[in-house]
Amino acid sequence: MPSKPKTAGGSDSRFFTTQKKGETHELRTDLHSTDRSTKVDAVKKVIASMTVGKDVSMLFTDVLNCIQTDNIELKKLVYLYLINYAKSQPELTLLAVNTFVKDANDPNPLIRALAVRTMGCIRVEKITEYLCEPLSRSLRDEDPYVRKTAAVCVAKLYDIAPELVEDRGFLEILHDLISDANPSVVANGVAALSEIAETSGKDVMKISTSVLQKLLAALNECTEWGQVFILDSLSKYTPADGREAEGIIERVTPRLQHANSAVVMSAVKVILNYMNMITTEDTLRTLTRKLAPPLVTLLNSEPETQYVALRNINLIVQKRPQILENAIHFFFCKYNDPIYVKMEKLEVIIKLVGERNVEQVLLELKEYATEVDVDFVRKSVSSIGRCAIKLERAAERCISVLLELIQSKVNYVVQEAVVVIKDIFRRYPNKYESVIATLCENLETLDEPEAKASMIWIIGEYAERIDNADELLETFLETFEEEDPSVQLQLLTATVKCFLKAPEETQEMVQRVLDMATEESDNPDLRDRGFVYWRLLSTDPEAAKAVVLSEKPVIEDDTSKLEPELLDTLISQIATLSSIYHKPPEVFVTRANIRSVAEDDDEEYEYEDENDVGVQPSADGPVDLLDMGGGGGEQNGSAPQQNGDVDLFGLDTGGGGGAPAAGPTCVKTQVCDGSQSGGIIVNCGFMQLNGKVSMELDLQNNGQIPVTTLAIQLNKSAFGLAPTNQQLAFNPPIQAGASGSYSIGLTVTPNMMVPVAAGAAAPPTVQAAIKNMANNSVFYFAANFTLESIFSPDGALDRTAFINTWKSIDDTKEVYSTVQLATSNIETIIQKFAATNIFQIARRPVPNQPGQEVVYFSCKTMTQHSFLAELTFKEGVSACKICVKSEATAYASLAKEALERCAK
Amino acid sequence: MASLSSFFVLSPRGDTIIKKEYRFSLGQSGAEKDLKSSVEMFFRKVKFWDTSKDGGWDGPDEARAEADESENFDMPKVDAPPVFLLDGESFLHIKRSGLIFGCATRYNVSPSQTLELLAKIAKIFKDYCGTLSEEAIRKNFILLYELLDEMLDYGYPQVTSTEQLKMFVYNEPIVTTPIVTEKTKGSNGKTASAASVHKPVSVGGVSSGKSGKNEIFVDILERLNVLFSANGYVLNSSIDGCIQMKSYLSGNPELRLALNEDLVVGKGNGQSYGAVVLDDLNFHDCVNLSEFDGSRTLSFYAPDGEFVLLNYRIASEFRVPFKIMPAIEMVTPTKLEIMLTVRNEIPAENYGANVVCRIPLPRATATVFCEMLGAAAGVEQTAEHLASERVVEWKVKKFSGASELSMKIKLSLDSPSTLQTRKEIGPISLGFEIPMFNVSNLQVRYLRIAETSPSPFRWVRYVTQSSSYVCRL
Repeated sequence: MPSKPKTAGGSDSRFFTTQKKGETHELRTDLHSTDRSTKVDAVKKVIASMTVGKDVSMLFTDVLNCIQTDNIELKKLVYLYLINYAKSQPELTLLAVNTFVKDANDPNPLIRALAVRTMGCIRVEKITEYLCEPLSRSLRDEDPYVRKTAAVCVAKLYDIAPELVEDRGFLEILHDLISDANPSVVANGVAALSEIAETSGKDVMKISTSVLQKLLAALNECTEWGQVFILDSLSKYTPADGREAEGIIERVTPRLQHANSAVVMSAVKVILNYMNMITTEDTLRTLTRKLAPPLVTLLNSEPETQYVALRNINLIVQKRPQILENAIHFFFCKYNDPIYVKMEKLEVIIKLVGERNVEQVLLELKEYATEVDVDFVRKSVSSIGRCAIKLERAAERCISVLLELIQSKVNYVVQEAVVVIKDIFRRYPNKYESVIATLCENLETLDEPEAKASMIWIIGEYAERIDNADELLETFLETFEEEDPSVQLQLLTATVKCFLKAPEETQEMVQRVLDMATEESDNPDLRDRGFVYWRLLSTDPEAAKAVVLSEKPVIEDDTSKLEPELLDTLISQIATLSSIYHKPPEVFVTRANIRSVAEDDDEEYEYEDENDVGVQPSADGPVDLLDMGGGGGEQNGSAPQQNGDVDLFGLDTGGGGGAPAAGPTCVKTQVCDGSQSGGIIVNCGFMQLNGKVSMELDLQNNGQIPVTTLAIQLNKSAFGLAPTNQQLAFNPPIQAGASGSYSIGLTVTPNMMVPVAAGAAAPPTVQAAIKNMANNSVFYFAANFTLESIFSPDGALDRTAFINTWKSIDDTKEVYSTVQLATSNIETIIQKFAATNIFQIARRPVPNQPGQEVVYFSCKTMTQHSFLAELTFKEGVSACKICVKSEATAYASLAKEALERCAK
Repeated sequence: MASLSSFFVLSPRGDTIIKKEYRFSLGQSGAEKDLKSSVEMFFRKVKFWDTSKDGGWDGPDEARAEADESENFDMPKVDAPPVFLLDGESFLHIKRSGLIFGCATRYNVSPSQTLELLAKIAKIFKDYCGTLSEEAIRKNFILLYELLDEMLDYGYPQVTSTEQLKMFVYNEPIVTTPIVTEKTKGSNGKTASAASVHKPVSVGGVSSGKSGKNEIFVDILERLNVLFSANGYVLNSSIDGCIQMKSYLSGNPELRLALNEDLVVGKGNGQSYGAVVLDDLNFHDCVNLSEFDGSRTLSFYAPDGEFVLLNYRIASEFRVPFKIMPAIEMVTPTKLEIMLTVRNEIPAENYGANVVCRIPLPRATATVFCEMLGAAAGVEQTAEHLASERVVEWKVKKFSGASELSMKIKLSLDSPSTLQTRKEIGPISLGFEIPMFNVSNLQVRYLRIAETSPSPFRWVRYVTQSSSYVCRL
């Protein structure tokens, strides 16, 4: 090995001297020098300039020339230069292709690997054909270093030319690499396969029993990074039964003792996911016990790792509280924890707190409330309140701690306490009013809107117990105009409450507030509320009482606030970024290929719209109305892009949704009650109109702010649905208290399909996330999907095909039920079915059963699942027996339900 | 999948020292992004992390953020969480020696894996440069790029072990003298430990036989978390321990390291009296555990450079090395006296080094007078009132075992003392390091090195440190 020349200065930093004029020329001369060390130094200088962001691409050919050398050090340097430009200036790198191909045959494995690695980084389609030959040789290279590099190269190539990878059989070779003798090759093989599986949405991993055994065997041999890849693949596999699950868990459990936190986290994920399959109580208990120590140990790692662990533990304790039920003291904050760790620890503590440990927890929280960090102190104070809301029996203790903290008179402590005490009142009405007096002593410390609003709410709600409620309100009213809208709204309501409870003293005050709210304010919410109260009070004070002073629903403990469906999704995403953000991956993972599909669709629709508008610019609305909203539904899908027409579309939606169209109607059910969505109540349904699938939303805005723009994301589902447009623009906006609807066009794409596990039924729901662009709040819901919405118009089979298929399907794959119908007229049913793409194949009387008739139907979903149905009718009876047969057993029940709905 | 789009190292001022792109970055709009600008955006976010607006936790609403703005100016700097989303990409970062090691990804990666990888890269950089500093990285940048190319391919972690990397690396490290004054966390800086040997691993593809000394460092390092109540009882205590090694052995001999024979792992295994009971432990990849259950012996081939052989955790009670006994007396409503006694309960032959005791004082403090009482001759100690931080810092350079030291702090207040004033005193924290002593009694019975003709030097050290050692008042 040649030693590096030691020149004056003796360090690489001398290469960083600024480039003066003529230096490029000098470098060029040096690069062509015959002296090797001069050459090496020159290349180093070029790389130095490159790393500080200077453009040295003009030296490309000169540097490239240096690659023709036997000196490995020089060759590596040139590759270092090339790999940088491979990404940013691919057309330049094309010049080097011949060199790559040659080097891929070099006797030195290091060079072979370098060539393959660099070549894969050139994202130009032209190069791919040159790449295939060397790549396929490298994948079978005798040297593991080359094989592992080639494995990654397959993933690179898939990104540029997926068909090529599939055609050339590279995926199969990757599969073989899983059982390679070298651990690094295994790791890269699994990594490449997993990535391809994720980006393509195809199950290229294909975990069969034999692959499973390979993976499990590799787990013991692999590098730590490879272990993470393998464990992550395993977590996506659904074991055939509890026995297999137990078997895999047994092989995975030793990973919990790995020093690498990533291996531990991924092992935890596999075990948690498989635990659902295990029914034996003993095994479950053992696993629960085994999971606790490694999770707690993660809390002793670097703070960054602790943070990741804590975000995950937050989910785990919601799903399986038993695992850490005795470990609460490990989550107590250390004084030198960084703030982000402390905050997460508080979240976990509040989830683990129970009657048994609440005393201990309160002592801790009280200590935290005296620390210096304001955010931490606030959260500690509000955590005390959350304990009270969660544990009825501890509420009194919690309140006394809060009162003690209020005595400290520390501004932000008092305010936080007031806010949380309001919530305690809403949880336990009329129980702890004795503390109101203490609160009233601290009115002057309140300067934050939330705290003020909370205090005013308390005053209004308990006006009859507070001697000087009107005086207190009066002091707040002095600054009414300057207050935050939330405070103004509370003041208005509280004054009205006060008036209804004691009209004599507050007549003048309520008049003044109503005046200010309705006449002097620009805030529409405030004005609306003011007018409503005014009207109520002036027409029927008793009715006003009934409305304003009605009993309010008791609030719930919000400490386990994730919805069960979301929680399940996130549990399956343990040890990914999803589990850090507590959001499903679709919400934040932006990926090029999925977007390009969506964009294509958009363009197509836009084109149609333009046509429509072009032909009949002014008659657009009315025509659609006559058409019973047929075209309206279709256009609504892309309406937001055309601002000028939006009003018309708004009308259309009303017409289309409200009129009982001859075609299919959409049954909407409430999917979101407003508690998690800032007051937006959502009813959701699915339908298909003129071949367009859509998701129909009715929104009732009970929140404070108008709804103008929402963005929607659908989770991958068993139906492969994706919105054609993610932005839902409401013009005019849905004001607070108003309602509106929206029709979202959907496409069916394999990218969004979640394969249904063998033997399981397809989950009937579609999960959606909606982001309100006004305040960036995100809420989630799951809507039951109606399968008939994706019945395709080409679902009719000819008779022979039908009979053959019917016979070929095993009788065990049959589901049936009896439905009550509105009519006994078979023709009506056939018509109804035809409207939803369920096609009649044959109709005949049942032999030897007079008065009975059977009708055969076929239908097919846009996801290419076919269903055959047999309906048996009896003359004069308004009911029928439905029998559905299909190879797509996972969907058979859903298809049967679809038929039942359509028949009714 | 764990695939990074880019990796970068930033100086404390936000300059990009090293950056490497593995994938095209896509912004929220789907357009390609310039790495430079997104790194700048990332740095601003980290530097000025605002909990009230960006909170990864349930951030309070905007209105309150505004109300807080005036306060924000003199608020302590807030550490940004290590993982966050910014313009369609996730950024993950760790801090090492004041430098930020960060990366961006647009995939749903495993955050633990990514953070472990960043830590590993930092470690490799340190192994090869000898020390981790802006200067060392700048001087060795070509070497480091060479290393990075081997450590990550297309954003996937590849070879990350120091000695395996040697086979692929042709540049030689340039040694820089470590900056001693640099603020380093944890184990570094106080007393010599394996981590503080500032010597790069030898590079050169072939054997490193003649290049350096044939030696190995073994540290049994224990960090203590102890929480005392005001009356001196231990409320909560735990030990985070690890065996940390740094190997400069020639050849790559098999090592056998034996621990206490009476070592018990996990609770509830019945008899554990007198034994060393660990609640949990985990091992480095290289360890062969076949003899662990029988004889508590580990066999392994030590990777080059620094590595953690095993981590352990003890949550059961142990004898705490220092006891903190505070007492507060109100002389007059505006005069308080804090009497503080710290007793070192370790054997007399050991000592605590660089013991630092910090006592937070109330807001209303006007003047402070500290008086150190009854110290034996030769005890080097100082007490200082740091008005800006509102603490008294009491430092003892060498605190002998089986001895005690006391101090009296006399405070005069601006306003009469209230319950709240009393609460503002504390919690008292203690920082220390005890060389050649460990609390758990975990011991290395022997470290055998196979095939040794010139017997290598074996440096086995025990160190106990404070992690969170606090007394509430």
